Amino acid sequence: MAHRLALALLALAAPATLLSFCLGGAAWTWIAALAGGAIFPAALIALGASRGGRLGALAEVLLLLGILLAAGLFAVLAWPQGGPDVFGLPAATALMIFILVPLPLLGLGWLYAARFDRHGVRDEDLDRMRRLRQSRSGEA
Amino acid sequence: MPILDRPLIVATTLIYFLACLGLGVWALRRTRSAHDFWVARQGLGVVVTGLATMAAAFSGFVFLGGPGLTYRIGLSSLFINLSIGFTPTLLAWTLAKRLRLLAEVREVYTIPDAVLARYDSRSASGAAAVAILVGTIGYLGAQLLAMGTLIEAVLGLRESLGGASLAAAVGIGLAVLLFYSVAGGMMAGIYTDVFQGVLMMLAAVAVFLYAMAAGGGWGSVVHSIAESPRFGRQFLEPLGQTPALTALGFFFVFGIGVLGQPHMLNKFYMIRDPRRLKWLPLVLGSSQTLCLLIWLGIGLAVPALVAQGKLAPLARPDDAAPAFLLGFAPEPLAGFAVAAILAAIMSTADSFMNLGAAVFVRDLPRAFGRRIGNELRWGRIATIGVTLAAAVLALTYNDLIALLGTFAFGTFGAALAPALAVGLNWKRVTATAATASIVTGTVLNLALEFLARQTFFPGLPKPPLSPGALPTAVSLAASFTVLLAVTAWTGRREPDLPNDVLAVMEA
Repeated sequence: MAHRLALALLALAAPATLLSFCLGGAAWTWIAALAGGAIFPAALIALGASRGGRLGALAEVLLLLGILLAAGLFAVLAWPQGGPDVFGLPAATALMIFILVPLPLLGLGWLYAARFDRHGVRDEDLDRMRRLRQSRSGEA
Repeated sequence: MPILDRPLIVATTLIYFLACLGLGVWALRRTRSAHDFWVARQGLGVVVTGLATMAAAFSGFVFLGGPGLTYRIGLSSLFINLSIGFTPTLLAWTLAKRLRLLAEVREVYTIPDAVLARYDSRSASGAAAVAILVGTIGYLGAQLLAMGTLIEAVLGLRESLGGASLAAAVGIGLAVLLFYSVAGGMMAGIYTDVFQGVLMMLAAVAVFLYAMAAGGGWGSVVHSIAESPRFGRQFLEPLGQTPALTALGFFFVFGIGVLGQPHMLNKFYMIRDPRRLKWLPLVLGSSQTLCLLIWLGIGLAVPALVAQGKLAPLARPDDAAPAFLLGFAPEPLAGFAVAAILAAIMSTADSFMNLGAAVFVRDLPRAFGRRIGNELRWGRIATIGVTLAAAVLALTYNDLIALLGTFAFGTFGAALAPALAVGLNWKRVTATAATASIVTGTVLNLALEFLARQTFFPGLPKPPLSPGALPTAVSLAASFTVLLAVTAWTGRREPDLPNDVLAVMEA
């Protein structure tokens, strides 16, 4: 289910991103932010992380990632002058530097490690690979 | 002040070269087979893999071009790095696991090897090899030119050698690069990359801290810029003078195109135990973030110093880093930073020397259904051949090679990212779809970028794109669209994949 949804989102996001970069204009710029900036990363991670088509609790986290990226890029587009000051920087710039980089970096990095036994490499995966390698070299 | 007059900088550079040569000798003794030469015996830990991936990914552009770009367009340059928050995890979840497990069941050393194993298509792997060759010529040539320019300045060769100074400087750098890359192959490449990566991180943090201090602290730096008539608050704004479509294009290309960078991806084959991938995103992401501090530090400090009247406005934005390091940093720090810049350039160059050699010794022969005997010997010979060819091309057609180098990242992304990232995670993607996507990405990106930037042929038209759109973003999106559309057209049922490839994709 999650795998199919990720593919469906990618199938919508790819031509939408292409059109937005080709056509330009205000409306297409927002679509580029949503499709190329938020949907692409979340959908590709979902594609790689799903097992048997399922994501489990990761689905909610990837939805949050998509929302964070979309909201961050929309804030940047909606505040062309950057909004009020935060740490001496326009708020939208501060959001980029202090939220959009460190939050996913540490959050997703930690999550990847925490869910590695479920969505990463398991012992049974390695056993299966070793058996397949042995049977392949036996055939050769 | 010429760098030659500052002996500590020259000494630091020479010590750095000696350390690289020493690592080359160490690796030579451990390189006995093609397995050692191409994938460092698949014996790396996660920290080594993460640092080597970061060092290969970050070229001299991060240390020289980034601060220069910031001086020119303000903090909208950060859109290039904004995706660093998710790219390490994206790489790990989408590709690192699949590529490493593929290397567990097959003899897979290069990216075209993986394409061949996944699609069982020599046309798909051949197209991937050609895309890698084109990008490698540009990337490697551009790194060799940057290395030559820096060594020429450090050793003051222009005063003594005149017109031959750049060629001589490239020759000196090449001697070091070739020694360790030919002798030790990827084994030397990896461990010099780790040494170079550590150097880059330490220098970036030290320069950032010093840059902030030189500008009077964070508050004073941003206040000076915001109050300055030359820069103003617009410099600090996220879009500043950059069109929104350009900024979003940076984000898309560097965020998604990273999935097609062969110099990063082939490092994933080399990790000893696939379970160590667990910590890869944190190691890779934190080392990249630390390195990027130099971009932010010099990128903010130089305009602040100009605004405060302590530094004359720069004639060329790319002089931002040299102007700060030579004019404000103490000599030991400047020497350290120069060595780090050389390290950034050379760690990227050595990865491409290995990739370019593999195209001739493994990838193209396999695409034609042949195998070359004694890959270790031919790999060493091909490394010399590819590197010398890139150097001659770079020195002869330096404008053209520099141009190719600027869009090599985009060429790799547009050519390889869809076929790898979607193809290794969705069984229905067919060989026809992968080949169509790789060819579309390569040809479209080369054509659009060349037409957009070239000044050689005034009669050629500009590409018909909307203002601000990056040609590479268009090519990358087109390549994904072609892959998905051709799969929908040709992949109505799942292709019969070999059991081992199926197991890798289901893991």
